[in-house]
This record gives sequence, structure tokens and C-alpha cells, in this order.
Amino acid sequence: MERMFAKPFVASLEGHVDAVETMARKPETLDIVASGSWDGGLIVHDVSRRSRLLHIEDAHKGKVSGVCFGQQDRLLSCGVDRNIKLWDSHKGFEESGEEDDTGAGPSKRKPLSIFPGKAAFNSIDHHRYDPLFATASNLVQVWDETKSAAISNLTLPTSTETVTAVKFNLAEASVLASIGSDRTFTLYDIRTGKAERRIIMQMRSNALSWSPTFPTTVLLASEDHNLYTFDIRQLNTPSQIYKGHVAAVMSCDWSPTGLEFVSGGWDRTVRIWKEGVGTQPEVYHTKRMQRVMSTLYTGDARFVLSGSDDGNVRIWKAHASDKLGIVTARERAAIEYRQSLKARWKADAEVNKIARTRHLPKPVYKAAQLKRTMLDAQRVKEERRRKHSRAGENKPKAERKKVVIAEQS
Amino acid sequence: MNFARSTFHGGLLQTPPPWLRDAVRDMRARYPNDAFDVVGRLALNPSTGGHVTIFRLVCGDCPGKLLLVMAKGRSSGKGAKSAQSSRKAGNALGYAKRQSLKSKALSPGDVGDVYEYQQEKVRRAKVKLQLEKDELAGVGGAESGSEEEGEGTTSRRRDTRPRLVGENDDDDKIDEDEDEEIDSDGAFDESDEERFAGFSFSHKKKAKSKAKPKKKSDSGRSVRFAEVDLDEDGDGAKSDAQADEASEDSEADEDEDEEEEEGDPSEFIDVLDVLDGRGEPESEDERGKAQREDVQKERASRKTAEADEEDEEMDSDEEAHSEEEDSEEGGDDEDEEMISASEVEEEGDDSALLDLENFVTGLDAGQKRKAPDDEDGKEGEEAKRARKRRLLPERTEAGAENEFIASSGAGKLNLDDLLAPLEGQSSNLQSLKKSAKVLSSSSGKVKTLSAPLPQRAAEKLDREAAYEQTKEEVDKWKATMQRIKEAEHLSFPLQAEPKSRTSNLELAAKFKPTTELESAVDKLLKSAKMRENEIAQTESLKMNHLSVEEVAARRAELAKMRDLMFRAEAKAKRIAKIKSKTYRRLKKKERARLAAKLGEDSEEDLDDEEARLKREVERARERATLRHKNTGKWAKAMRGRGELDEDQRRDINEMLDRGEKLRRKIRGEGESDDDESDDESDDAEGEEGIARIKAKAFDELAALDADQAEVPEGKKGKSIFEMKFMKDAMAREQRKAHEMVDDFIKEMGGHDPDGDEEQGERPDVDGPSGAIVQRVGGRVVYRPGALNTGIRPVGSLASDTSSVTLKSTDLPPEARDTPIEQSASPPSSPIAQRPVPPPAEEVNPWLAQASAAAKAGQTKHEVAISKESGAAEKSKNKLRKRVQKRLEEKEKAQEDAAVDISLSTVMTLSEPGPSKAKAAQTSTSSSAKPASTSAAKGKARASQEDGDDSDSDANSEVEEQEKALAQKGKGKGKANGVKAFEQRDLVALAFAGDNVVQDFAEAKRREIQEDAPKEIDTTLPGWGSWGGKGAKKAPPKPHLVKKVAGVDPTARADYKKAHVIISEKRDKKAAKYLVKDLPYPYTSKAQFERSMEVPLGTEWNTRLGFQRATLPKVVTKIACSCPQQSQLRTPASTLGLPVACVPQHPSTY
Repeated sequence: MERMFAKPFVASLEGHVDAVETMARKPETLDIVASGSWDGGLIVHDVSRRSRLLHIEDAHKGKVSGVCFGQQDRLLSCGVDRNIKLWDSHKGFEESGEEDDTGAGPSKRKPLSIFPGKAAFNSIDHHRYDPLFATASNLVQVWDETKSAAISNLTLPTSTETVTAVKFNLAEASVLASIGSDRTFTLYDIRTGKAERRIIMQMRSNALSWSPTFPTTVLLASEDHNLYTFDIRQLNTPSQIYKGHVAAVMSCDWSPTGLEFVSGGWDRTVRIWKEGVGTQPEVYHTKRMQRVMSTLYTGDARFVLSGSDDGNVRIWKAHASDKLGIVTARERAAIEYRQSLKARWKADAEVNKIARTRHLPKPVYKAAQLKRTMLDAQRVKEERRRKHSRAGENKPKAERKKVVIAEQS
Repeated sequence: MNFARSTFHGGLLQTPPPWLRDAVRDMRARYPNDAFDVVGRLALNPSTGGHVTIFRLVCGDCPGKLLLVMAKGRSSGKGAKSAQSSRKAGNALGYAKRQSLKSKALSPGDVGDVYEYQQEKVRRAKVKLQLEKDELAGVGGAESGSEEEGEGTTSRRRDTRPRLVGENDDDDKIDEDEDEEIDSDGAFDESDEERFAGFSFSHKKKAKSKAKPKKKSDSGRSVRFAEVDLDEDGDGAKSDAQADEASEDSEADEDEDEEEEEGDPSEFIDVLDVLDGRGEPESEDERGKAQREDVQKERASRKTAEADEEDEEMDSDEEAHSEEEDSEEGGDDEDEEMISASEVEEEGDDSALLDLENFVTGLDAGQKRKAPDDEDGKEGEEAKRARKRRLLPERTEAGAENEFIASSGAGKLNLDDLLAPLEGQSSNLQSLKKSAKVLSSSSGKVKTLSAPLPQRAAEKLDREAAYEQTKEEVDKWKATMQRIKEAEHLSFPLQAEPKSRTSNLELAAKFKPTTELESAVDKLLKSAKMRENEIAQTESLKMNHLSVEEVAARRAELAKMRDLMFRAEAKAKRIAKIKSKTYRRLKKKERARLAAKLGEDSEEDLDDEEARLKREVERARERATLRHKNTGKWAKAMRGRGELDEDQRRDINEMLDRGEKLRRKIRGEGESDDDESDDESDDAEGEEGIARIKAKAFDELAALDADQAEVPEGKKGKSIFEMKFMKDAMAREQRKAHEMVDDFIKEMGGHDPDGDEEQGERPDVDGPSGAIVQRVGGRVVYRPGALNTGIRPVGSLASDTSSVTLKSTDLPPEARDTPIEQSASPPSSPIAQRPVPPPAEEVNPWLAQASAAAKAGQTKHEVAISKESGAAEKSKNKLRKRVQKRLEEKEKAQEDAAVDISLSTVMTLSEPGPSKAKAAQTSTSSSAKPASTSAAKGKARASQEDGDDSDSDANSEVEEQEKALAQKGKGKGKANGVKAFEQRDLVALAFAGDNVVQDFAEAKRREIQEDAPKEIDTTLPGWGSWGGKGAKKAPPKPHLVKKVAGVDPTARADYKKAHVIISEKRDKKAAKYLVKDLPYPYTSKAQFERSMEVPLGTEWNTRLGFQRATLPKVVTKIACSCPQQSQLRTPASTLGLPVACVPQHPSTY
């Protein structure tokens, strides 16, 4: 019943002309979200009011490749124009307060400072406590907000790749991770100032996210349609594989609880996963939603944002059949009762089937079917090959072992 | 010795000198695997224009590679000798030379010519050149060697020390060499033939030097034993054009560069030491003999080294010589005094100097001839170019004077050797030694500090270490993560801010009046000094004004108040108690009444007609019997007497009253009983209010008092009872009542004093009324005796009594039962006509005995009863059954506990039985006798008095039994008991009637039949076919035959398994809801089932339980951004993960 009446889609935030490339939530807030797009525009949304707090139309030439909040309402953005710009978003808030009705029209704002770089930047992330931030271009650099040049370069000396994303760990704030075009995942520590370990995988990753509750866990959104969680203490195998997307996964973000995460894919779906459950994610899709380039959880873990190729930022419920608004104690008790009943009877085939089935758009469904067929065929082939080779010559390899090709230090 | 190749051209060539031969022999001996050869060659001495013979040592194994050159002055007839050595050695040699060159940089330049010659040689093959130089130097500088040595050693020391530390010296040397090279190039052009030149030069030099060498030359033994290794030669061949530098290059090329470079200096120093031993003869053995005091220690050490490796020894020897030569050359011009001085400085040993001198002279006997003029000429040049000169001496010396280094080279140079010279001088030698210890410890091979790793490797290691560090750091979160993972419920934020309770004080302290009202109040308080902080003060102030009496009065007042309050409280408590008591009473009564009504109703429902009839009869009887009317006999008599005294009248009135009451009771409408009415009213009023109830409680108390007051009245009644005319009428009733009382006491355990009271009253007033009331049946409440009948079926009175008697005997059932049976049998046997089929029909054959015995007993018992009325029989039957049942159960239990029952115990058990039974019998018989008599009367009575009859019958029967028991029990009791309680009997009794196997087989057969495939003909006769007379019966139509595809008996899972029934039924509808696999967290089916059995909803759970059961796993506090973890870096200190709470926007969200 719930499933039938679930309405996960809440609203759409407009304002970008081109694909929304990146989104970032202001730490310690629930709903202040900045988004950067391919057109070089930068918008700070107030999600709960569905209004714009700040709108900079040409923050960068070319696309804005990375956005993050700094300390004290500062906003950092980097772009492919080889610049990092530091904005004061607080002023924007004030202004928006004034012209709230008009919805904060684009302002000709000048950045507080510009940090020029030598190559196009792909990603930026701010240290949790210190006024430091890291950027990814062909190097991984650490910058100080007060200094115009990078204070250190953490790149592995042998690497020649383009680093596509970089993220600070949330609990162990000085631990840093990056992913690169060389199918690599690299771990850094700004205390030792070194790249510490690198793994090379089968396919490249498109996004990464650190778990907020499990400091050792990092999530990678891979090009091979899967998501992987790694324990950084043991990088040779992923701790879990999440299979479900039917195209490359373009983005991922952990829920603040660390027990769920959201991913957006090239298959035009947003999926919500439970930590440790590798299949059957919740699937969100809309007719008009294009490739999902960025996804984000809100601070209260109730909503999910997705930025897609069509330039919209969409708000979804994290749990499709959640009731919005005030829920009375009685109602909540009833809901909880129902949920625990479902949990109790989930072993039952019928109940489970209902809980499991998702309505998918036809292309996704077909793609999934096709993928399944292909994988089956592959498996069969391998089995036959094994059958016709000498016994014990090629043993089946666990799926998990296949992911990482090499671990380097 | 093969000198075949040593050619002698035109007499110019000289034969190899004997020392050479000796040397070669030695070499051969030492290197048996190598083929040495000495080749003589004529060379032109450019300076002199004469010819010189050059001897070359050739190795046959490596043709063209090994060329050892020994040059000798023609006239002297001495050849140079070279020995093969390892490549390393060669390099070392070259290096040594360079070093010496450097050291000689400042030495006077009289060797200039020599330098040039050397350069020539260098051009061809640097190694050779060097060697030759050495040789030359050895030859030339022999005389003045000692002095030079002194300097050389010192200077060398100077050089070597830094070398040990840093390697830059190499470069310097190279530079020098280059300079020299250039010069030498220039010089080389002049020369025709290198070697020759070298020799000539050396000769010149020698010649120029003092006369001392001459003496030595006589000896003719001075030999050069220069070793050059193959590679060097190869190098030389390659780099003809190259000068000394080339040697450097070659060194650089080679792998062992470093080693050599480091090794060399030591060798130099070794040489220094060797200096002393230079005078030794060429062969090693000889050298070993020659010993200097100063060097003795080093010698020893060196020798050990020698023992290790001969090759190296050789090298070092050679170098040592070269060094010596260097020093000699450098100090060519210098005086011996200088040398001696230097030596003194060093070692303070003159004898060494002398030896040296001797040695030198001995070496270069033939060189005196060499023209000194040339040398002089060159000297000028040399003086100009200090560097060249520096070079020269070294080179010349290298070849050097020593007569054969092969012998003199003591072995590998040690660090100790290097440090030895310092011993006397430096105070910080010790520290140096210490620091050098590391190096010296690895004495065998030349050990060095390993070079720093290449950058990339080093960085890799760094990274690995850093990763480990990070891992460690991150691992501190392990415990926290584990806790989160295992938690059943997570409530975010995980680290909530501790809630602080705001106290009044806190609020008051914070409070500031903002509104008008508040400020006004505040002002008032302030003026009255009643604010929170001032109030204590004001009160104390007020107290100050009071006098002692006033205070005392106040206190007294307070105390009084307290006292009053306490009293009020106590009162309230009491009232409450009464209230509750009353209430309870009321409740109880109400319940009782309800029960009574119910009983009546049921009774009415059950037997409407009968009951009504009965009631009518009763009424009639009452009317007939009771004294409620003055129509009775007694009343009439009383009336007849006319006058009545007061007592009599009151009695009559009472009687009438009672009659009235009873009548009403019978009608079931009202109760005239005092208690009853009271209760009723209580009940009615109880609903009205608490106040009334209170009053009622008191009323009730009063009423109770009144009741007690009535008791004496009852006693008055007893006085009436004592009257004669009452006695006869009441006698029977009283007896009955007594019985009833007994029964009742037995049944109820002697409670209900009210009942007692009533009983006490009733019999005296009206005996027969009890019987009447009993007949009413439903009115159990009013007659305790009736309770029995209420519980038991009608006509069970007899059994009751019997049971009572049985109980009273207090026998264990088996002990009680069997004797009765046995004893009962003889008297009853004649009467026994109708044996009831025994319940245990099918008994195991091996148990036949016991069952037979049991049967007999039963039949007899039965007979005893059967003669009486049907009802009685029934009751009897029941009783018997019950008893038997109990018996069986008991036995079973016993069997369970211990199958073996020893006979002795049985006997002891059975022993007390009869005696007790007897006692009981006597008691019952006494009471039963009158009953039996009455029973006899009762037979004549109407049939409705069944109960009475049966009762009496039962009594009589029991009596009979008891009598029998009394008769037989004494005689046979024991034997019978033993017989009865045999094991088999017990078992038989326990399993009587269960033929389990057959039952099971039957059940299985039925099961199989049910499941078997069936064909059911559903044809309805007359439908679809002709009916009537003569019609043929149509065959069953296939579509009307319903086939049930069951399970074929042979296909069953339990086919041929006699001991099991496996059901083939499978509920398809239910199957849909069965779980295929055990769900995850459960480990067993039972566990899962149990968890599923427990209901979840509020209907089956307490509120709390429900809440707990339905609590979701993750609870997030809305308006909290739960994310992210603490700033606390030490997870050990964090109990959860802290979260910053931020109020949510009040929004539509």
C-alpha cells in the first residue's frame, strides 16, 4: 500500500542553465546547498525554502568543477578555468533576505580571492577544521585559504593521471583520498604530506565519499556500474560491492547517519542503498531527469538531492513513503508498527516480493535485463572454459578479488 | 724458467738478471695456474741515446692482455719485473700513484725530466706508464727515499684522512692529473720510447742522487716487482692517447671504484709502515724476516692479512714500494737529515732510516750510471711547474726502488695500520678509533656504509611507513565502529548534548522583569524585601524582634497543629479501613446471593416439572410437618390447654414466625433472617454513598452484636428443646444433622461459623425442616448439609458416606482397596448374580493373574451394591470407578518412580490399614446403626425419599463390608497384601487396556486408506438413465466418476516402516506461506518459530512492550543535522559520535 502511494519526488530547484556538475552541503546545516554547473554558474540553495540564497552566474569560465563550503560562510569553487575562487556566501544570504521575493537574482559579485592554478581543477574539498582545502587537477594540492599558492603537493611522484576528485575524511580530518583517470584510488595524509597508498582498479571511479560514521570506510562510484566500499586499512579488496545501476555511476554521497547512501548514475536514476546491502536499492526516476551528475543527502538524512544533466536540482525523499509534515505520536506508533510487521514477515515470499519490486522505466529495465543476460553468458562461458581445462588450472575468482588490480605504495 | 721469448738483439739485449729469474720462479710457485714469461726488449733511451733492455713479464693465459713490464738499465743488467695481479690491484695501484702525486705536489722539481718520460709512457698505456714511473722512481729515488718518505707519509696522511671522510678529493686529483697530462703530452712527443725513457730518467735521477745507491747496486738485487692487472692493460691499450687521467676514468668505469678508492688510502699508509721493511729482500719470505722494531706490531697484523689473501698482499706491497719511491723522489734533493728528522718525528726511530738507506742503495746499484745532466736540465722545468713535479715523483716512485714488493707487501691494510702512526701524537686518537671501529670491525672485506637508497625507493618506504601510521590512527576508531555496528538501536545524533534541567533558582537568578506587571511585582517584592535572595534575611530580622514567650507560643501552636493533623489522619485511615471492610462484606454477600439465584435458575431449567412437583410435595409436607401453624398437634394441644403462660406463648409465636419465614423462603421471595435482611439493606444502601456505608458499617457492627445477643436467645431455644415434647420429634433430625455437620466439616475443613450457628439453631427448632430444605436442592446456601448433595449427583449420599469412611481410615488406596474387596467377597458371593464386565479386558497374558484377582474383587463389590436400588448402584459404580482410577494413577506414578516395589514396604504399608479401618468401622457403625434402623422404616415410606434410602443403604453396606473386613482382615490381611502387590500386578494395572501396537497399526492402516487413490461414483440414480422396473442398471459414466489421486500405499514415505506414520498430506494453501530457508539472524527453526509466535500488536502486549518491539533501528532527531563525527581525535574518549545540533528552519519542508 505504501509503495503504491509513495511519492518520493518533492520539488525541483531550478536556476542552472547547464548540467549540474557538483553540489555541496554546508557543514553543520541541514539544507544550505551549493551547486555548480557546466555553464559556470554557482547557486546556493536554501532547500527547505526552495529559494536561492546566492546566484553567481559566471563564477567561472567553463564549468564549475567543484564547490565546497569553507569556514564561516565562505564558499570555495574551482573550475576548469584554472582558478579557485573564494566567495563570501554570507553576504549573499543577507541580500537574499532582502530580495527574497524575487528569488535572489544573479549578482555581479566578486570573489574574495582567487587562487590561480596551473591546470584545470576537477574537484575541491575543504578540511573539516582547519582553513585548508585540497584540490585535484593533474596534481593533488593542499592550499591554505590565506595563501595564494598551494602549500603542498601530495601527488604520487609516479602518477601521471588526471585526478578527478578529492575528499577529506570527516572524522580523521587529515586523511585525504583521491581518484584519478588512471583507474586509481589514492590515499593521502596531510600530516605526513604524502601519498600513502594507491590502488588500481578494473575501471575508473567517478566519485568518492567518506562515511561519516565509519571513518575507515570510503565509497567509490565506479564506471563499471557498481559502487564499492573500501576499508582503508585493507585496500586490496572492497568490503562490499553494490550492484544495481545499469550504467556508470556518476556520483555518490553518504547519508549523515552513515547507514545509507545515495548514488546517481548515467542511467538517469537515483538510487538509495543501505549500507552493507549490496542489492535492491530504492530507485528514483523521472521522465525528464537526465543523467545524474551529482547527488547529495541533506543534513537530517530525510531528503536527497540530485543534480542532473538537465540543469535541475531535484529534491527527493530519502524514504519514498515517508509522510511529510507533522506526524502525531499515534501515527508514528502505527507507522512503526507496520514497519516492524513488515520486517518480521520479510522472510515470507509474498511480502518480500512486494517489498522488493520496483517500477523501472523501460530503458532501465531493458538495460538491466540485457546486462543480466550478458553476465549470465559470461559466467556460463567461464564455467565451460573451466570445465574443459585441466582440473584446478583456473579457479573461479571471487568477484571481490577482481576489483583491485594492484596495490601500490 | 722459460726465457725462450726473451730475445737478445745484437748483444744489446741483456739476459734477464738472476733476481728476475728468481722472481719469476717465485711467481710461478705462487701461481701455478698461470703461465708467466719474461720477454726482453731493446729500447732507446732518448736522453742518453743508449739502449736499454726492457723485460716484460707476459702471461700466457691472457695473451696481449697482460703485459708486465720490467725495465732495467742496460748497463746495470737488471730487469724490471712485473707480476700479474687482479684488476683491482691495478686500479689500486693507479690510485696510489695519484695520491702520491698529489702529496708530492710541493716537492722540489728536480725530477722534471722523469715526469716527461713518464708522460710518454702514459700516452701509450697509462698503467704501464704508471708502473714504469714507479719503477723509475724506485730506481732513481732510491737513495734519497727515506727523507721523502717522511714527508710523503705525513702529507699522505693529511690527504688520506679527508679522503676517508669525503670523496671530493678524487676530483682534485683528477684535476691535477689532467694538468699533468697536458704537460706530459707535450713531453711525450719528444720521447721515442716510453719505457726506455722512463728508465733512463730514473737512472739519471739515481745517478744524480748520492753515492749511496752505488753500494746497493752491487748487491744487484733490487728488483721491481710491479703488478698490473689485465684490465689495466686493456685500458691502456684502449686509451693510448690518454694520459694519467685515463686511469682515473677507467677506475670510474669499474664497479669497484668506491671500494678501491677507499681501500687505497689504507694501502698507502700500509706502505708507510712498510717503508721500514723496504730494505727487505724481494721475496716475501725474506721480507718476513726483516723486521723493524717500530713496525713490528703492524707487521703482525699485516701478516694475518697476508695469510688471508695473497693477491691483495701483492698489491699492497707494490704500492707500498711506490709510495716509498714517491717520498724518495720528492725528497731527492733534500738531505737525509730531513728524512731522519721526519722519521724521528714519526716514529723516533733511526734504525729504520738506516735500513731504508741501505735498502735504497742496494736497490739501485746500476742506476748510478744514468746521466745526471738530464735531470738537472729538467729540474728547472720542474721547479717552474710544481704540479708536474708533484706528479713525477709519485710516478717514478711507484715503480720504485723496492726490491720486491711482492715480498715486502705485508698484506691488506687495516685501519689499525692507518691509525698506528698517530698513536704517539694525537690525543683524540681514541675517539677516532672508536668512530672507525665500525669500519674496522668488518675487517675481512672492505665494508662501507651502504649508499643511500635511490630516491624513489626511499620514498616508497616512506610512504609505506606513513600508510602504516595512518592505518594505526584510523584503527583507533575500531571500538566505536564496532559498537555502532552492533547496536540494536541507533539514535542520531549519537552524541547528544546532555540535557540540563533548569532549576527554579537558575530561572530566578536569570529572571529580569520585562513587562510592566513583572516590574511592578518586582518592585513590591523589593520594597518588602521578600525577593528570593533577601527573604531569609528578612525572616531572621523579624525573629529578632520577638520575645522568648512569643517564640514559645508559636512553637506550641505549631505543635498543636501538627497533633491535630496527625489525629485527623489517623481517623481518616480508620474510616477508610471500615469502609473497605464493609465493602468487602457487601461484595461477598452479593456474590453469594447471586450464586444462589443462579443455582435456582439452573435447577428450574433443568427439571422444570420435577422440581415444581417436588416443591409442591415439599410444601405439602411442610404444611403437614412444620410447626408454623397452630394447626399442628402440638399447637393444638397447647391451644387445648387453654391458658398459656408467657413462655409458652412466646414459643408459639416464635414457631409461627419461623413457619412464616420458611414459607417465604420456599417461595424464594424474601428472607426473614436477620443477617439476610441486614445484608440486603446494606447492599441496597451500599450503592448510595460513602457516608451511608460508613453508617452502615457501624450499623452492621451493631447488628453483629445483636446477633451475638441472639445466640443466648438460641440457648433459650435450647431450653425449649429440652422440653420433653420436643425430644421425640427432634431425635432423628438431630442425628441426621450431626451427620451432616460431620460431613460438612470434612468437606469444608471446618469453617463458616455462621453455618455452625445455624446448625446449632436449626436442629433444636425444627428437625424435619432440614430434610425438606435438602430436597429443595438449589438452596444450598442455607443448609450446609445440602452442599454435599449440590456437588454430588443425586443419590450419591451413600457413596459420600462410604467415601467418608474410606477417607477416615486414611489408608493408602491400594492398602484400603484390596482388603475391602477381598473381605467383601465371601459374604457377597452367594448374592453375586450380575458381574459387571471388568474394565481391563485385554490384559497382557503375563499379567493374567493379577487381573483375575482384580476382577474377582470388582465383581464382588458390584454384587454388594446391585442388590439395592438403581440410584445407589450407580453411585456405587461411580465410587468404585473413581477409586480404581485413583489406584491406577497412584500405581502408575509409583511405577514411574521405581518399578520395583519391594514386598516388605508394601507389607508395612498394608499393615496399618486394617486396624485403622476397624477403628473407622466402629466409629461409623455406631453412627450408622440408627440410620439403618431408620432406613428400614424409610423403606416403607414413599419412594421420593430416595436420598434417605440410599444413604441408609450405603451405610448398611459399608457396615457389612467393614464387618467382613474385621472378620477376614485379621487372618488373611498380610498374606493377601503380599499377593496383591506383586510387581506384575502393578504393571498390569498400570498398562491395563493399552495395546499400543495394535492401535498404532490400526491408525496407520486408516491413514493409508484415507490417502489411497479413490474413485468416487457420483452418479445419482435415476438421473440420465432409465429407472423403474426392468430397467438395466447402466454402467457408471466416466465423467461422473470422480477420481481422487491420492498417494499410492507403496509410494508412501513410511511404506515398510512399521514404526512410523509419515503424513502425506500437504496443505497447499498453507505451503504458500511457508518459509523456504531459515531467515538470517535465526539459527534454528524453533527459534524462528518462537519469534514468529510472539505477537507484536498492542492487543497482546503492554504499551511498553509494544513500543520496545516496534522501535525502529535508526531514529533521527529531526531538526538535527546528525552527520559527522567528533573533533575528538581520540576515539577512546568518545562514546558515540558527536553531532552538531542545529535548529531546523520552520518551514514547509
